[in-house]
Amino acid sequence: MPEKHLEKDAILKVVNVDGGYVIRYGGRPVKFIHAVDNVSLELYPNRIVGIAGESGCGKSTLAKIIYGAIEPPLEVKQGSVLLKVSEEYEDLLKADRAYVAKEIWWKVISYIPQNSMNVLNPMKKIRDSFIETFKFHGMAVDKKEVTKYISEVFSTFGVPVDAINAYPHQLSGGMRQRIVISLSLLFDPKIVLADEPTTAVDVVTQLGILTSLKEWQREKKSSMIIVSHDMGVHAYMDDEVVIMYAGNIVERGEAEDVFNDPLHPYTKILISSLIKKGEKTIKKGIAGSPPDLSNPPPGCRFHPRCPFAMDICRREKPPSIEVEKSRFVACWLYAKR
Amino acid sequence: MLAICKEVKILSVDVGNYLLYVDRVTKFFGYGLLGLRKFKALDEVSLSLPLQEPRLFVLIGETGSGKTTLLRIILRMIEPDMGSVYYKSKNVFKLRSSEVKWYRREVQAIFQDPYETFNPLRTIDSYLFDVSKYLLSIGKKEAEALVDETLRFVGLSLDRVKGKRIREFSGGELQRISIARAILTRPSLLLADEPVSMLDASLRVNILNIFKDVRDKLKTSVIYVTHDLATAYYVGDEMAVLYRGVLVESGSIEYVYNDPLHPYTQLLLNSILEPDINIKDRVKPIKLSSIEIKEFLTPGCKFANRCPYVTPKCNKEAPPLIRVNGKRAVRCWLYTTSSNT
Ligand SMILES: Nc1ncnc2c1ncn2[C@@H]1O[C@H](COP(=O)(O)OP(=O)(O)O)[C@@H](O)[C@H]1O
Ligand code: SF4
Ligand code: SF4
Ligand SMILES: [Mg+2]
Repeated sequence: MPEKHLEKDAILKVVNVDGGYVIRYGGRPVKFIHAVDNVSLELYPNRIVGIAGESGCGKSTLAKIIYGAIEPPLEVKQGSVLLKVSEEYEDLLKADRAYVAKEIWWKVISYIPQNSMNVLNPMKKIRDSFIETFKFHGMAVDKKEVTKYISEVFSTFGVPVDAINAYPHQLSGGMRQRIVISLSLLFDPKIVLADEPTTAVDVVTQLGILTSLKEWQREKKSSMIIVSHDMGVHAYMDDEVVIMYAGNIVERGEAEDVFNDPLHPYTKILISSLIKKGEKTIKKGIAGSPPDLSNPPPGCRFHPRCPFAMDICRREKPPSIEVEKSRFVACWLYAKR
Repeated sequence: MLAICKEVKILSVDVGNYLLYVDRVTKFFGYGLLGLRKFKALDEVSLSLPLQEPRLFVLIGETGSGKTTLLRIILRMIEPDMGSVYYKSKNVFKLRSSEVKWYRREVQAIFQDPYETFNPLRTIDSYLFDVSKYLLSIGKKEAEALVDETLRFVGLSLDRVKGKRIREFSGGELQRISIARAILTRPSLLLADEPVSMLDASLRVNILNIFKDVRDKLKTSVIYVTHDLATAYYVGDEMAVLYRGVLVESGSIEYVYNDPLHPYTQLLLNSILEPDINIKDRVKPIKLSSIEIKEFLTPGCKFANRCPYVTPKCNKEAPPLIRVNGKRAVRCWLYTTSSNT
């Protein structure tokens, strides 16, 4: 069993997951966009893991798979998402959907989807969305309790309490995003999975939201997966960071190590192209653009843009190499041959 | 009322010394369900660019602070309710019809989303040839040479682009092409509205480097609109900060960035999340406030609701724009002394 090799106290284990979008034409599949290619990672208690990478590299697809929110055209070809629920690992990809919806989602793992400002029911007042969520999970609903909870969590996230009586369209995108975040913390889940949680807000609000999320996480000793293309968000939030490129995890490790000493050629260029506060010296970005995931290049998916590409890179996929304990890089430069 | 005397003084400025002079521009928009109530999306905003030397001017502000509205006014897409815009001494809202085409050659713009700029059914090069035909009225041979030279300036070439459509390009390439189209007329002023916010970090600096080239090699001034302070400092010479439609601070970027005076600018600078792991503990967390239309409507300082230094006066009366050292300006009661009010 492959799980045997993994640390036994991981709370979530993603094992060799392959997935993507099946594009059909007249009912027949014509194209497969291979957005998540043989991905594995683990999440430990009381940790924040960031998933980084540029747009289209498969971060959101991976997040959907982890949550088990798999709907056409998304399909999972293989792999498992093992979630620890009362001492047992359950494979979310195989478990009964109704059970997962009632007992796992929100309670054990909650998900703040990308563009979360659009997920609130437009026909319902915010208060009713909250009450509905309580009810669905079989919680007794005490109006007073709900209102008390809501005003607490709303004030943490800077949402005016009157927003509770509003319909979603009466609130700004940033405000709706903060409400969805508040909802996701409702049942003190063990894992919060947040996909670009601060895209619709300005820098000041972004810092406020992230700080509140982090404080909540530290207080509850929960775990969090933060998906973002913004390396500033990762530098601020992550204990551990996972770098994705074109559907692959190319590198992962302690955030400090990855930022200070990136190993993969892609991570190196990415980190060196970042503009820091108060910098004016001319920097160089990366040439070219990421590949089409329905027709990725053979071998290492980064080889057409890699300054170090060798023959083997064009032919064979590099393995994920554990260069140190829990420090992985998928690149032939680090293979012992 | 001292504030008004202050502003009147600015009027005596000779607009002939400026490439662009935006003079106390105010714009009202409707809000509420029917849009019947009005708020000031721009509240007496003034800024200027010198004539002699090309500048990279950064306009910073959060979503809804009025940045795009100001650009659209400079582009003559909307008219201000009060105030005026002078370009090379001409009031741009009083141009003669013969001058309108000249103005379009002189002042060009690029926008945030490259995918909205181009129609997917047209070939990309046709956009560039349209500009050379309608705005420059040059022949085919000459146009091809100019288009190719301009595309090379942004790191592409006519051969690379010819006959292709939008889906054959990445976002970064499309943004290069947008820049090429905008600089084809060799404008003296280029307006860029969040041009890199949709691009990934590793592509961003390449585009920003092109703006530096535009300033240094083409001698074109650029107004770079963004909410991103780190890239602002990377490219900018001067900057202005907008908050709720009010210009709260402006000046040379070195001053404003390294020694922000306005409490809002200070908050903004403190909120930048840096892609630098070694300073993560230096970030000072802040409390979130619930921001509402109320802040636009207050008669006092628009930042009073969130300002740590607020006094009763701030809530009642809007602070005047105060010049400091002749090199910068700040709109905050903290900086009023008997000598400069
Ligand atoms: N619903 C969908 N149908 C088809 N392709 C999709 C869909 N959603 C995403 N994709 C494609 O899958 C790839 C990965 O996308 P995504 O996971 O959203 O990346 P990221 O979150 O890293 O930006 C991209 O090529 C994207 O165009
Ligand atoms: S495997 Fe080869 S092409 Fe891929 S990143 Fe490493 S050196 Fe570059
Ligand atoms: S005028 Fe008053 S409220 Fe406004 S920024 Fe200055 S001190 Fe703060
Ligand atoms: Mg995404």
